[in-house]
Amino acid sequence: MLSTIRSQGALHWLGRQLFNRDDPGAFFDPLLAVLNPMWVRGFVPARLLDVIDETADTRTFRLRPSARWQGFRAGQHVNVIVDVDGVRQHRTFTISSAPSQWRTDGTLTLTVKRHPGGHVTHWMHDHLRPGTILGISQAFGEFDLPPSGQPKPLLYIMGGSGVTPALSHLVSLAERDYRAPVTLLYYVRTQADVIGAETLYALAARWPALSLHVFATEEQGEAALLNEQHLDAVPGFAARDAYLCGPPGLMDRANALLARYGVQEEQIRCTFFSAPTAVAADTPLGGAVTFARSDIHVDSDGDAPLLEIAEAAELNPAYGCRMGICHQCSCRKTEGTVVNRLTGKASGPGEETIQLCISVPQGPVTVDL
Amino acid sequence: MTTQLTQSQLDDLARDLDAIRDEVRADLGERDARYIRRIIRLHRTLEIGGRVLMPFGFIPPVFVAGVASLGVAKIIENMEIGHNVMHGQYDWMNDPSLHSQTYEWDTVCTGDSWRQTHNYEHHTYTNVIGKDRDYGYAVLRLSDDEKWKPWHLLQFINYLMLTVFFQWGVGLHELESERIRRREIKLSDKKAFLRDFFRKGGRQAFKDYVFFPALTFPVFPIVLAGNVCANLVRNLWSSTVIFCGHFTEDAETFSEASIENESRGQWYLRQLTGSSNFTGGKWVHILSGHLSHQIEHHVFPDIPAHRYREIAPRVEAVCRKYGLKYNTGSFGKQYWTVLKRIAHYSLPDRVRVKLEAQAV
Repeated sequence: MLSTIRSQGALHWLGRQLFNRDDPGAFFDPLLAVLNPMWVRGFVPARLLDVIDETADTRTFRLRPSARWQGFRAGQHVNVIVDVDGVRQHRTFTISSAPSQWRTDGTLTLTVKRHPGGHVTHWMHDHLRPGTILGISQAFGEFDLPPSGQPKPLLYIMGGSGVTPALSHLVSLAERDYRAPVTLLYYVRTQADVIGAETLYALAARWPALSLHVFATEEQGEAALLNEQHLDAVPGFAARDAYLCGPPGLMDRANALLARYGVQEEQIRCTFFSAPTAVAADTPLGGAVTFARSDIHVDSDGDAPLLEIAEAAELNPAYGCRMGICHQCSCRKTEGTVVNRLTGKASGPGEETIQLCISVPQGPVTVDL
Repeated sequence: MTTQLTQSQLDDLARDLDAIRDEVRADLGERDARYIRRIIRLHRTLEIGGRVLMPFGFIPPVFVAGVASLGVAKIIENMEIGHNVMHGQYDWMNDPSLHSQTYEWDTVCTGDSWRQTHNYEHHTYTNVIGKDRDYGYAVLRLSDDEKWKPWHLLQFINYLMLTVFFQWGVGLHELESERIRRREIKLSDKKAFLRDFFRKGGRQAFKDYVFFPALTFPVFPIVLAGNVCANLVRNLWSSTVIFCGHFTEDAETFSEASIENESRGQWYLRQLTGSSNFTGGKWVHILSGHLSHQIEHHVFPDIPAHRYREIAPRVEAVCRKYGLKYNTGSFGKQYWTVLKRIAHYSLPDRVRVKLEAQAV
């Protein structure tokens, strides 16, 4: 074991000398991508096996990653890496299948909703066909099942496509033959919007611990929005561990209600990912700037570029010409929209490389500095 | 000899060039990504091909093929991939292996040193005597802004040395040896730079002159000779291309005072008149990293280089509109004017002026 690590270390060192890069394995990627894209080293390649329609705007993609993928725990996420119009895009999705499925046939599923205004999810729906190879990251996230041992009663409050981690959780719990009561309150717009319907109804039928309540907010009106009665109907809910995932409105409502009923914060786990949304075109320039690596938060107004904002916050980012030519100050923006001073154009909302000296925040922005 | 335009003409010039840039920027996408990926595949294929052929170099045609393959691989990597990626031309692709600030290329000069001396200093202060140290690389006198000294008589030898050992010269550029000689800075000020220089230079020498020869031990002299030749081919070609970009006969130079409070229009003007192009076929452009379109490159350093060919007629039209010289010509003609310029400025000003008067 130790000798493999040593020889791998030596090989890695040699690769760095020969190819001038920290990931020497990826040097051959451009050729490997043509020979067999499953051999690529720069990310974990995964073959798309099939595409399943869940609802009118949601599809499930079943993937088989290459052997380098290390597996996952129920409730974890992966970044999907796709090239859209020549631009590499990363988007986070929760794995909707259970780890047992990956262990038996080496596949996982991602359930993706067309995000309104979301460039990448639309592209995935329109362009990904069985046989396509895309990239994924290793799994990450802490939306974990309760530890095995004394089973605790659980309450899931999920909304829309936020149900995906619960699908993975519930299948895993049923396999464990979880004895304590488990309740899922699932909020959708209409019954036709239920994601993973087949799995959920089958589970509810054969696994007595699960009680499933679907609320269709558009069909049933006001009464179907999360309220006290929904919680009161769940036996002993205040003592349960709660898992929340859904759109911000539902999350806020759930958190407020649970707090009012005296549910402790340690009992609640939340997670939610949504494709980043672009700010409205008429949003004024300036905004809250977060320098993530140095954990500094400052407000900016007007057309001050990020380089000046960073310097005012006593950071010393690399810079050169200060006029957008030399790219010395290029760094990663992880969230938010910036306007390019030279072109007057707004950036996309996601993670990308920007030039600090000519980028003016438009709304809140997070920079990796 | 600086070209004069009024402030409102300069503003119009900036607007015209900005319009070209914005249009190309808005159009970047799949086509550009496919282009650079194809070039990278070509580079990998040629590099592997060269390394594989080299040990069989005891057959003379195979030796030539090996040197050509590895030499061209290095040229493509340095010129069309490395130089352009480090300019941020492909940052929009969001691909970590094509990121301007982390890319490291197959030459002695470290990426970081290059980003400082080339992307920042040379591209910001293009042809400003005293600020753009690329102007003559501090070893050549190429304008009368610099006082003539007797040792300039020998500058043709300097030029030959520079072109043969170009990658080492570029690698040592940031050392600012001329300022150390003048005692403006101390060698110890450059400790961090020298450490990086020796690490990268050592890495390059190890690869080409130790590792691959040793790997093919029985034929190591052939592999060593082949690798030396490949590096030489790259050095001669890349230095020639770069010299044709700024040191041709009519490329203008500027004083430090002239760029104080420079407007964007003035900056554009300086880039247009301080650079020169040469013509050629598609492969001449690719092998020069499209620095055959030095003018377009200097005006738009971070637009993917293969686009320069397409926008060249429009940039030329802009030059015509403002009565600016669009300095272009065949490769041979441009290179001849470079050699003439090096020779002329090696002479004392009195002799040079007399010679030039006779020529006219």
